[in-house]
Amino acid sequence: MRGERVPFGIAAHGRVWAGALLAGALTLSLSPLTSHLSPFYLSPLVAQSAPPAKVAKSVERIFGPGIQVDTLKVDTASVLRVSKGGTLLGFARVRNVKGKDQPITYLVAIDSRDALKDVDVLVYREPYGGEVAYEPWRKQFRGKTTTAPLVVGKDIRNISGATISSHSVTLGVRQTLAELAAWHAAGKIK
Amino acid sequence: MRLAPSAALLTGLAIPLILNPLNAQDSESTSVGGYGEVHYTNATGPNTPGIVNIRRFVLYLAHTFSEKLAVRSELELEDAKIEGGEAGGEVALEQLYLDYLISPAFSMRAGLVLPPVGIVNEIHEPPTFNGVDRPTFDQVVIPTTWREIGVGAVGAIPGSAGLSYRLYLMNGLKAAGFTAASGIRGGRQEGKEASFANPSVTGRLEWARPGLRLGGSFWYGGSANQDSLLGTGAFDNAVALVSADARYDVGPFMFRGVVAHISVADADAIDAVYATQVGSRIAGGYIEAAYNVLSALAPASAQRLNAFLRYENFDTQAGVPAGVAKDETLARRITTFGLSYKPIYNVVFKGDYQLQRNKAGFGEGELLALGVGYQF
Repeated sequence: MRGERVPFGIAAHGRVWAGALLAGALTLSLSPLTSHLSPFYLSPLVAQSAPPAKVAKSVERIFGPGIQVDTLKVDTASVLRVSKGGTLLGFARVRNVKGKDQPITYLVAIDSRDALKDVDVLVYREPYGGEVAYEPWRKQFRGKTTTAPLVVGKDIRNISGATISSHSVTLGVRQTLAELAAWHAAGKIK
Repeated sequence: MRLAPSAALLTGLAIPLILNPLNAQDSESTSVGGYGEVHYTNATGPNTPGIVNIRRFVLYLAHTFSEKLAVRSELELEDAKIEGGEAGGEVALEQLYLDYLISPAFSMRAGLVLPPVGIVNEIHEPPTFNGVDRPTFDQVVIPTTWREIGVGAVGAIPGSAGLSYRLYLMNGLKAAGFTAASGIRGGRQEGKEASFANPSVTGRLEWARPGLRLGGSFWYGGSANQDSLLGTGAFDNAVALVSADARYDVGPFMFRGVVAHISVADADAIDAVYATQVGSRIAGGYIEAAYNVLSALAPASAQRLNAFLRYENFDTQAGVPAGVAKDETLARRITTFGLSYKPIYNVVFKGDYQLQRNKAGFGEGELLALGVGYQF
């Protein structure tokens, strides 16, 4: 709930003080829990995103040229449906996870059989831990399905010195893959 | 260049982004984080009761003004409180700097920053290292948490897929604080009205790929602080430090090692002027191996129980200037072994036993330590 965090000391008087402090305390007390249970930015106010051109380039690199991309909606979520010549190639979704203090915007692409085609780190905003954006780390995800643990230290190798980003992106990929596979199985995306 | 399909792609993607009332690139946000550690230590021998201590409580406060500009800070409280007349306790700013991301290859950074030397100085949160307290080498050889005020560049070298660097110009160390037992540690200025008489250069080059990170660091700068008896030149009593480190993880095993060599120029002059016995050379290192016991006992678990063993071998008087007697108790060999239990990667319960030996065989002891640590 980072975007709704109330800055300290911003309110001025009496009841406004109390209200702001209470809201701030509640937000802060909840955020460590939510940030571990769900790294996604739940607030609609500060969700970061990647420039559309970057997303397009990423999807094209993963699925190849000559593709058609449609945007599907599942409730408020956006899913990209990738097809070629009428045949479904797969789906992709752009999400955020929290790094140390900034969001990491990444893309998860699955094929028509719900296996990971690739993971792309679209925007890395911090000075440390950016090695997760490189091929040697990302390629570990290719081909994995929801049966894989997708846990750092098990089937995903950590990058020393980039532990936070390694764990965050891995958790994000695991949850996004589960989400896409569940929606596909339920027919919410097809 | 196929324009039409790309244009269709872009439009298809842009429409939901335009309709979605999210502010994309330049939203400001404030982030609070931190780390902390509580220690129990008990040294062997009489008259040394166990001590429990809130070793550190650190608040990390960062604010991003835009995707390019951020301020990051770390405020530390040691030993729970400060009370006049009592030893111990410290409140200190460990970091405070502005980052200006000009490109992934070059961010400009200015403020109170951490010299990028070794492993622990830049990454010192309790869940990131084994053992309750930081290695003694990372206290008296590389003096963590070392922080000085400077300006520099940070970035990843383009096209290298894993090479990154940091390079700073900072204020220097003060020779007046050097000692035989703790080397250059007492010479740190830590951002408090620091003298800029000896601008120093420090930097690091590191290469990382899954499971491996190698790094090399240096520090070079004077320490005379324009003392008329030592030298008024900017590079007088130069401290030259070079170090190399490696971290290697494979399956349930984790290895790390660091070596460092520090030379203190004209240490004989420093020792004469300040009545100390700082060495002309300080050198050593350590090697550590750890094994995640849970990988065998509970392979499905994401929790970790790391059994580790570390051997430190260093001498803060590896070289002494003429006229200074070498104190062989400072040639230390410290063996630490223990367990680190991490239910999640950000929280750790630690226990270790440390054998403190030295070349003279005098003043040796052993230490039992337990600790709890977290970071977020």
